[in-house]
Amino acid sequence: MRNSRYLLYLILFLILLTLPLYTGVYFLNVMDIILIYMALALSWDMLLRSGQISFGMAGLFGVGGYAAALLHLHTGMNPIVSIALGGGVAGALAWIIGSAVLQLRGMYFAIVTLALAEIFRVIVRNLPDLTGGPEGTVLPSAIFAGDSTRTYFLVLSVAVASVLASEIFQRTRIHFALTSIRNDEIVAKSSGIDVFKYLVFIFVVTSAIQGVVGGAYAHIYGFVSPEGSFSVDFTLLPIAMALLGGMHSTWGPVVGAVVLGVVSEFLKLQIPYGHLMVYGLIIVVAILFFPQGIVGTLGQKMKKTGSQ
Amino acid sequence: MAILRTEKLARHFGGLVALSGVSMEFRENEILGIIGPNGAGKTTFINVIAGIYLPTEGKIFFEGRDVSEMPAHRKCRLGIGRTFQLVRPLPGLSLVENVMVGSLFGKGLAKKEARRKAEELCGFLGLADLSRDISRMTALEIKKMEIARALAAQPKLLFLDEVMAGLNSDETQEMINTVRKIHKQGIAIGIVEHIMRVIRELTDRCVVLDWGEVIAEGPYEKVSADPMVIKAYLGEEA
Repeated sequence: MRNSRYLLYLILFLILLTLPLYTGVYFLNVMDIILIYMALALSWDMLLRSGQISFGMAGLFGVGGYAAALLHLHTGMNPIVSIALGGGVAGALAWIIGSAVLQLRGMYFAIVTLALAEIFRVIVRNLPDLTGGPEGTVLPSAIFAGDSTRTYFLVLSVAVASVLASEIFQRTRIHFALTSIRNDEIVAKSSGIDVFKYLVFIFVVTSAIQGVVGGAYAHIYGFVSPEGSFSVDFTLLPIAMALLGGMHSTWGPVVGAVVLGVVSEFLKLQIPYGHLMVYGLIIVVAILFFPQGIVGTLGQKMKKTGSQ
Repeated sequence: MAILRTEKLARHFGGLVALSGVSMEFRENEILGIIGPNGAGKTTFINVIAGIYLPTEGKIFFEGRDVSEMPAHRKCRLGIGRTFQLVRPLPGLSLVENVMVGSLFGKGLAKKEARRKAEELCGFLGLADLSRDISRMTALEIKKMEIARALAAQPKLLFLDEVMAGLNSDETQEMINTVRKIHKQGIAIGIVEHIMRVIRELTDRCVVLDWGEVIAEGPYEKVSADPMVIKAYLGEEA
């Protein structure tokens, strides 16, 4: 059972690895978008496992994007290194902010993260010498000169790294700490868990992932702007994906990202600009009718038939 | 020797004085009963000792060290364990995983050893079918699981907050035996209980709280005959 599962992962990974050999540029571009959102959805879910809801994803995504783009532009740094540093900047920022606001919980924390995203956007708009102001900054060229295969591999490695990070979180003591904190902080504290330390840690890690994804995105499109890099899409769409796929797991956000990614690509062609409405509808339907998401609901069904 | 000592411990919630001037000690290898009518401050006392609330005034010394301001997770690691009046199992974790939380973080074991330790403790407490979901456990089993979780952190002093409440008489007897078994391992126990039979059978000494203050102290036979205690429980004759 276990071996066949790993075999499945291996086959899946090989398919992903060889995808550029038998698909075209358009397909790879769609894959890029799906994988980018997948990493964001995973990072959102990883924080959610501690019970904290973040609406600040677009903020850290944008910060990572700006950091990567500006570092590359002003210092001539290798784009890949600048993407990693974009994650570092987002992580460091999360550490400072988290240390200050992670005494807050639940909705209060969520509102602060929402405000932060807005604050970053306003700051970036108003520092034209550094950031290019409201118009944003255009990079001299997209990463790998726009080569779609190499771009795809960059995004694939970010997504795979996020999947691995998520699995590490699920399989180590971190899983026990986050589950305890989410369910009952008093039990967590009384059992020796340093709740604050774990919350800051998970906020920093997930923010760093969002920063890396933002950095990659900025280099792929060769462009950062206050409206584009901090777009609410980077907050809402990953949340919709995680909810649709199923919370508190690795495979939930992954499946959600694939399903919604494909659907949104289709919707963009059918009803331009109307797709956001459909996301909202999907979130509502998912929460109302299958709060466990696709993966959670299927898992339950399989457990039931298995025990019969 | 005293393992834990409080000095004029007080805790206020706004204008409400939940504890005031509580000075007492827990001796090594003793079972101490903490009794008193509802709202006397027994659970608040445990919460202050365990670090869930900080004391408003007063000091707490554990093994001679001032731990008054220490946060709960560090007190747990130091050796102060507790269960909860209303059971608090962690959904999303199985029976053995619930217990592992204590050995992972309270004792700081690696995952493999933490699981082994948790399995051992479940066996010690007579819990079987360890990968069970907690929704399939009885009240007695959940209470035992909470004790196992607290023991997994290897406490030197363990507070049991009404572990017998809601159990039938056979289960109560079983729990009394369990507490004796734990005590035999050299763990000092502070037990809050409303069932006087349990206090009489288990404790070496009792402290009676009323309105947040200590009104009597001594062996059960002595405090149960104390007029102040009888008044606190039954009220004054009109």
